[in-house]
Amino acid sequence: MSGHYRLGRYIALDFWRNLRNIGNSFFVIVLPTALFLFFGTTMDWSDNPVGEGNVSAWTMIAIASYGAAMATTSMAGAAALEIQQGWGRQLALTAMPHGAFVVAKSVVAVGIAVLPVVVLNVVGILTVADMPPGVWLATAALTVLGSLPFALYGLAIGLSFRSDAAVGAATGLLVIFSFLGNAFMPLDGVLLDIGRFTPMYGVVALARYPLTDGDLISMGAMGETDPLWAVLANVLAWTIIFGTACLLLQRRRTSRR
Amino acid sequence: MNTAIISARGVSMSFPDGAGGRTQALDGVDLSVTRGEVLALLGPNGAGKTTLLDTLLGLTVPESGQVLVDDDTPRAAVQSGRLSALLQTGGLLPDLTAAETVRMVAALHRDPADVDEVMDIAGVRPFASRPVGKCSGGQQQRLRFALALLPRPEIIILDEPTAGMDVSARHEFWARMRTQADDGATVIFATHYLEEAEQFARRTVLMDRGRVLADGPTDEVRSRAGAAHVGVVWTPTPEELEAVPHVLSVTSEGQRISFRTDDADALARHLLTRTGAHGLTVRPASLEEAFRLLTEDPASEDAASENAASEEVPA
Repeated sequence: MSGHYRLGRYIALDFWRNLRNIGNSFFVIVLPTALFLFFGTTMDWSDNPVGEGNVSAWTMIAIASYGAAMATTSMAGAAALEIQQGWGRQLALTAMPHGAFVVAKSVVAVGIAVLPVVVLNVVGILTVADMPPGVWLATAALTVLGSLPFALYGLAIGLSFRSDAAVGAATGLLVIFSFLGNAFMPLDGVLLDIGRFTPMYGVVALARYPLTDGDLISMGAMGETDPLWAVLANVLAWTIIFGTACLLLQRRRTSRR
Repeated sequence: MNTAIISARGVSMSFPDGAGGRTQALDGVDLSVTRGEVLALLGPNGAGKTTLLDTLLGLTVPESGQVLVDDDTPRAAVQSGRLSALLQTGGLLPDLTAAETVRMVAALHRDPADVDEVMDIAGVRPFASRPVGKCSGGQQQRLRFALALLPRPEIIILDEPTAGMDVSARHEFWARMRTQADDGATVIFATHYLEEAEQFARRTVLMDRGRVLADGPTDEVRSRAGAAHVGVVWTPTPEELEAVPHVLSVTSEGQRISFRTDDADALARHLLTRTGAHGLTVRPASLEEAFRLLTEDPASEDAASENAASEEVPA
């Protein structure tokens, strides 16, 4: 009975396993960085002011949110598949309780989600993006926080479709959610009205909030503002939707046994 | 003194059958295993072998009945490393290498064996740096064996460990397993190969449709099931027929007579040396036949089977 299992070591090994998964790392880190370099640093308006910073920073935050959400979605989806494909049975034959598996996976998922945020912020600092340091830290923290509901999204997809392809499609959908979420370019008109109800809109707006105080930038100059409650309502609503889906799917799965 | 290291009493379990009803996977199974015993769990697909092993491992909680492992719950025995298992399929991450898999699982045991030592014992070393997804079925099975050895278990449960292995890999696997058993480990394995039970287990439990049909020394269970069919062309007198040894049952079709026997050698020798029988064929009884015979009402068995079948040995 001496000794204890080493969760830290397990987490480190699992983190490394996911990091070296080239496909994942490309979509989570390399692609967002490239998108930012293209959309966020080379445009004529990149240096225009937004709130206390500039447009480049405004773009950077959103693309980092996209990368972080990609990370948590694919990690959670993959975890659901692992468990269902028998790895869960293997783990059930160790000293690690099931709760610790959830903790380990969450740590790994957040760890992976932090990577695009760090990389993009460093690239931002080295290029055109500009914000006061306090705002910079606040937006980075909110970006990581905003990726958490997408872990539930990935989990729900993994639980319902049980295939790698479905999880891949789910991460692919994030491109559309991000576009509608006002992440890549400023939306207005009908697209903005629709976008406000889509899942990425809230977390992107929340991450940008320290920079913009909710003010929207637009190609026109209408100067709309999203109140904080509306932003939080979007995040909360989608968290509840994804969370409920996971609970229902989990119940369906266990009742079948 | 109670020397049972595993004791299952009245274990029942059912699953939805997909048509609104429930299938009884385990129907009041009693099983008691003594420390150091090597036991084969024999049965056709769907007999309930995997479900029974899952309950012994604490992976499934039975609807009724009780399972104790070393006077503890199965989960506690697993967590302390006394009980481990080689599971049937799945259960491996394809993008990890074999060695990484061993290291990862080792991190989750309280007092794991040395990783390199375990890989040597299980024969994982030659493909240690290969991704699991690229390993052959036999190699993955060796890897699962290494994982099963990690906690230095006192009891190892193997669910069809040689499924998908060729003959030589199967032989090699059992040679490694025998070393473990010789070191005093209690081994329980599920199989549908009668030969594996005969070669490696002193005790065999026969299961079908969630019930234990026979439980006792492997020799007795085998003879109870009938080991082979011997066919000859022969027209015996009733006395001659009566004199044939080791006969469990006789059927005839014209001149062609077929004996079910628990000792094909002795029966064939008798027929060829003492009688005019010729055209002899020997066919081992399939396990399916054995099950059919065991599930049949004993009263309908042929009268010639007096010298067969010991009584069921209580656990």
